[in-house]
Amino acid sequence: MFELRFHGRGGQGAVMAAQTLAEAAVIEGNYAVAFPFFGAERRGAPVLAFARIDSKKIFSKTQVYVPDCVVVLDDSLLDTIDVVSGIKPEGSVVINSKEEPDEIDLGKELRTGAIDATSVALEILKAPITNTAILGALARVTGIVKIESIEEAVKTRFGERLGARVGERNALAARIAYEKTVIGISKGIKKLETKKQWLPSYQELPVGGALIEGRTEAGLIGPGSFIENKVSGWATFRPVRDKAKCTMCLLCWFYCPEGTIVRISDRGDLMTNYDYCKGCGVCENECPVDAIKMVRGRV
Amino acid sequence: MKKVMMGDHAVAIGAKLSRAEVIPAFPITPQTLIIEHIADLINDGEMNAKFLTMESEHSVMSAAAAASAAGARVFTATSSQGLAFMHEMVYATAPLRLPVVMVNANRTLGGPPGIWCEHNDSMGVRDSGWLQVYVEDNQEALDMVIQGYRIAEDKRVMLPIMPCLDGFVLTHTVEPVDIPEQEDVDSFLPSFSPDIMLDPVKPAMIGTFMPAEYIMELRRQTAGAVESAKHVVMEINDEFAKTFDRNYGGLIDIYRMDDAEIALVTTGTVTSTSRAIVDELRNKGKKVGLVKLRFFRPFPIEELRKALAGISAVGVFDRSISYHGGGPTFMEVRSALYGMNITAVNHLAGIGGRDVTEDQIRKMFEITQKAAKGEKVNTINWHNTRGESV
Repeated sequence: MFELRFHGRGGQGAVMAAQTLAEAAVIEGNYAVAFPFFGAERRGAPVLAFARIDSKKIFSKTQVYVPDCVVVLDDSLLDTIDVVSGIKPEGSVVINSKEEPDEIDLGKELRTGAIDATSVALEILKAPITNTAILGALARVTGIVKIESIEEAVKTRFGERLGARVGERNALAARIAYEKTVIGISKGIKKLETKKQWLPSYQELPVGGALIEGRTEAGLIGPGSFIENKVSGWATFRPVRDKAKCTMCLLCWFYCPEGTIVRISDRGDLMTNYDYCKGCGVCENECPVDAIKMVRGRV
Repeated sequence: MKKVMMGDHAVAIGAKLSRAEVIPAFPITPQTLIIEHIADLINDGEMNAKFLTMESEHSVMSAAAAASAAGARVFTATSSQGLAFMHEMVYATAPLRLPVVMVNANRTLGGPPGIWCEHNDSMGVRDSGWLQVYVEDNQEALDMVIQGYRIAEDKRVMLPIMPCLDGFVLTHTVEPVDIPEQEDVDSFLPSFSPDIMLDPVKPAMIGTFMPAEYIMELRRQTAGAVESAKHVVMEINDEFAKTFDRNYGGLIDIYRMDDAEIALVTTGTVTSTSRAIVDELRNKGKKVGLVKLRFFRPFPIEELRKALAGISAVGVFDRSISYHGGGPTFMEVRSALYGMNITAVNHLAGIGGRDVTEDQIRKMFEITQKAAKGEKVNTINWHNTRGESV
C-alpha cells in the first residue's frame, strides 16, 4: 500500500488533488481512497488531505501517519508545519517551490521534487490553484501513477464539474509541471519546532470548556486570543492602495471580512493590517475608483 | 459501472436509482453534498423528482411525512443539529407508518459545536421507531438506500429507515463504487403503493388525534412492526445479494468468528479499519473476531447471542456516550447477552471526530483479551482521552 499526505491551503485544491490521484490510480486498475481533514474550511487556511493506493481493496479508514510521499502545495507552510513528520526514510516529497530541491530545507534529507506550480497555474489557468500542476510533479517524482492517467483523471474530474475546456487546461498544467519538475535531495538542517498546543486533561479543562482571558505555555487562550493567530501567510496576493486615487469612501473598510483595514483618523488615512489580511481581494473588487490593486507576494 | 466517488454522492445516486419522487431538503455539513448532488441530478434532467427547499429541518420532516402519506416515495438527508431540530417530526413519522428514507451523516451534536463524526445525533432518536443501519463504506451507503426502500415499504414493516454514514470519514472520502444498473434496481425495487394514502378521490385520515383508548395498541403495533423488520431485513439482504452479488449479512456481519475467543462489536467505519487489525492479529495466531452491528433498530438480540456464543469476552465500540454506564451500543449489547457467561467491556473512541487509529483498535483487543483472562480491567474505557488511563 502506498500512502500520501497532502498539505495545502484552502482554495489551492489539495482535497481535489488527492481525489484526482485516487481516480488516476483506479484508471490503472488499482484500488484507491482519498479523504480530507480540515478545520472549518476557509480560503487560505492550512488543509490536510490523504490518499491510499493499493492493488487490493483498502479497509483502513484512519488518517495517514507514516506516509510514503508528502505533497506540499504551498511552501509557506514549511515555516509553521513539519510537513515531513512521520515520513518513511525512503519516502519522497513533492513541493510547490521556486527553489531547487537541494536548496529546500525540510529538516530531513529526502528525495524531493520541486516545481514552481504557482507560476504554471497562473500561466495556464490564470489562477493560483496549484493542484493539477502538483499532480504532474507527483507522477514524475513517485511514478505511482503514469502522467497519462493523471491527465485522464484531471480531464474527467475537472471536466465533469467545470466543463471540458477547464479539464483540458488543467491536464495541460499537469503535463507542463511533469516536464519541468526538478528532482534532488532536500536539505536536512533546520529543527522545526512544532507549535505547541494547549492540551488539557479532562480534569484540567475548565468546566464546560468556558474560557476567560489567560495564557498557557502554548500561548493565549480565551477572549482576544486570536490576536496571536496571524494569517498573512495564507495570502498569495496582497492589496496595495493608491492614495492619489482613493476618495476615502470607506467601502473597502466596510466590506473587508477580517476588519484588516484600519481608519487612522476620521479625516485622514487608512492602513491595511497585513498580519490579518488573507489576500481575498474583496477590497479590490469593491473599490469604485480602482484605487486598490492586488499584488502577488507577501509582505 | 465503477466510479470513484464520495459517500455523499453515492447516497445521492442511491436516491436517484431508487426513483425517489419527493426530496424535501435543508443543507447541513457534512450532508450538504448529498442534497446538492440530488439538486444537480434533477436540474440536469437525470432524476425525476420534486425538490423542495424548506426553511428548516422541522419543515423538512413535516413535508417528508406528508408527501409519504400522499403516496410518494420520499428521500431526504440530515445530520447532527438538523436531526435534533426535526426531532418532533421524526417521532411523528414512525408510528404513522410512513416509509421515508432519510440518510444521516453522523456528526457531533452540540454543544460544544463540532462538525466531525460522532454517533450521538442518531443515537438520540433510537427510540423513535425509525429503523437504523450503520454502514462502513460508500458502496454500502449507496446499496442501503436502495435496500432501505424495500425494507421500509414492505407491508410487514411500513416504517421509516435511517441509513447512517460516518460524517467526513465516509461522506467526504472518495473510493470506487459500483453503480447498479437502473433496470436491475427497477426490478428489485417496485414502485411504492401504500394501501391507504391521502387521496382526494378516496379520502383518508392519517395522524389525527388519538386518545388513551387507542395509543397503547398503536405503540404495540409499531413495536411489532420493528420486530418483524428483522425477518424482512434478512430476506431483502439475501435477495439483494442474489441480484447484485453483494452480501452484507443482514442485521449483523460476522468476520473471522470461527473458534474466536474474544470479539469486538463495532458500528460504522471503525468496522472497516478493524477488519485489517483482525487479519493482523489472526496472522499472529490470536483467536479474535469481529461482529459488525449493522442494524441498531431493530436490535439483533438473537443474532448477537448466536454470533458471540462460546467467546469469553466482548469489547463493544461506541462513538457516542449516554453519560450513564457507557455508550448506547454497549448497554444494548450487554443487555442482549444477559445470562451468557461473557464479560463485556466498553470502548469509547472517536468521539467528536477524533481519528480512531489502528493502535487504538489493537488496544481495544488487548483490553478485551485481559478481560477474557479474568484480569481486572475498566468496564468503560475512554481511549485516547487525556486524563484517562486505558
